[in-house]
Amino acid sequence: MQIAVLSGATTKFGELWEQSPRSLAQEVVSQAIEQAGIEKKETQALFVGNMLAGILGGQENIGAFFADELGLEVPAVRIEGACASGGLAVHQAVLSLLTGKYQTVLILGIEKMTDYKPEEVAQALMAAGSDEERKAGLTFPGLYALMAQAHMEKYGTTEEEMAAVAVKNHFHACLNEKAQFKKEITIDDVLKSAKVADPLKLLDCSPISDGATAIILSSKFKVQSSRDKPVFIAASAVATDTLALADREDLISLKATKKAARKAYQMAGLGPEDIDLAEVHDCFTIAEIMAMEDLGFFEKGKAGQAILKGETKIGGKGPIINSSGGLKAGGHPVGATGVKQIVEVFNQLSGQAGKRQVKGAKIGLAHNVAGSGALAVVHILSNL
Amino acid sequence: MISPVKIWRHQKKVNQLLGKTGKIVSFTLIRVAPVEFKQQVPYPVVVVRIEDGRGVVGQLVDWEKKNLKLGQKVKTVYRKIREPESEGIIPYGIKFKPC
Repeated sequence: MQIAVLSGATTKFGELWEQSPRSLAQEVVSQAIEQAGIEKKETQALFVGNMLAGILGGQENIGAFFADELGLEVPAVRIEGACASGGLAVHQAVLSLLTGKYQTVLILGIEKMTDYKPEEVAQALMAAGSDEERKAGLTFPGLYALMAQAHMEKYGTTEEEMAAVAVKNHFHACLNEKAQFKKEITIDDVLKSAKVADPLKLLDCSPISDGATAIILSSKFKVQSSRDKPVFIAASAVATDTLALADREDLISLKATKKAARKAYQMAGLGPEDIDLAEVHDCFTIAEIMAMEDLGFFEKGKAGQAILKGETKIGGKGPIINSSGGLKAGGHPVGATGVKQIVEVFNQLSGQAGKRQVKGAKIGLAHNVAGSGALAVVHILSNL
Repeated sequence: MISPVKIWRHQKKVNQLLGKTGKIVSFTLIRVAPVEFKQQVPYPVVVVRIEDGRGVVGQLVDWEKKNLKLGQKVKTVYRKIREPESEGIIPYGIKFKPC
């Protein structure tokens, strides 16, 4: 069975104080339905990726909440897997199509974070960690700082190399109307920004954001016109690892990423060398460096230099990484992120990425991580 | 608020980690802290490999800058974790100290 991405729409990511979760959902879902050229009633199920509506907003029952708001009387389910909630929602939607029970489904990734104080958000996000990590006074920057320190020690990775990730992703975000930070920065800006959890500084970290993203997947698609290049889901894979960082054999790679990638490459019959572009989970700059290595794009310890040299920047030799601006500069509304990654890859493979179009892109990958690596989702999309 | 029952249950696990030594395998210095740890910043959090091979995460106390390095030997100590909240119980747990 082939599953096509019929459409993908995203709101602007950022501090959207004038918008509610309801209005964000309306905006993206109506766009996605229009773009797909279908009637709303043709969608047979709704999958919502969301992490914080309960803990921050006091609203649970989110599947029914959005089905009601969108006027969809269909089975609706909310899927939570911390910052990978969006990717997991896409995975579950794919599985539902593979059963043959549904032919066309809607996925909504959504998060409203800036209505709350940053320290409340930070605390809510730590719900994705372990009890011991919370008792140690750890934060998410702290968890990734522990990985950064170990990676620096083992491979000689530098703060400049990490900064280069932020610089590249801010450059890409300037080409994306929907990105949170449309502002170029320099390596020096990153190095001089306030320290958050040594060695990570403010500009090594993705922001707190609001945003929503919707996609429509279908197993009974028709190519609309000769202009349209259908984009297919070639693989959808999930893997898990220990919840707590300290329980892992080492701190220099994410086993969940490696396992999910291996499964995805196998499913698609492809390897890392076939990937033209990827949206990867750069919640912190070190995370993009580790993802480059764990997804097999670079040898362990070699990604930092390649990023610093510009190999993964639009126009570089590739693979082109985070053309949307990533989580770092595109914004990171946690439940929406994994779905937005699919939208960016879809836009690239269908030739709709505008100023940031990667020329001749045929195969793209999306990589979404929960917590400090307790779970990872990898999707591969293709227009072949 | 953390359930007092949960705090009580956790206390029983703390015993297993008393009197252990190990080495730091990674560290960070937290400068922007969660609400209930705000008064303590900046504070180091370390991942320690203890003798039996287990990895344990915790704060480092009684530290100097020179202790923040991989391979630093540390031992477990029993300390207050944070200020009590409305439950009125002071949570205690494991932290590390250079040795």
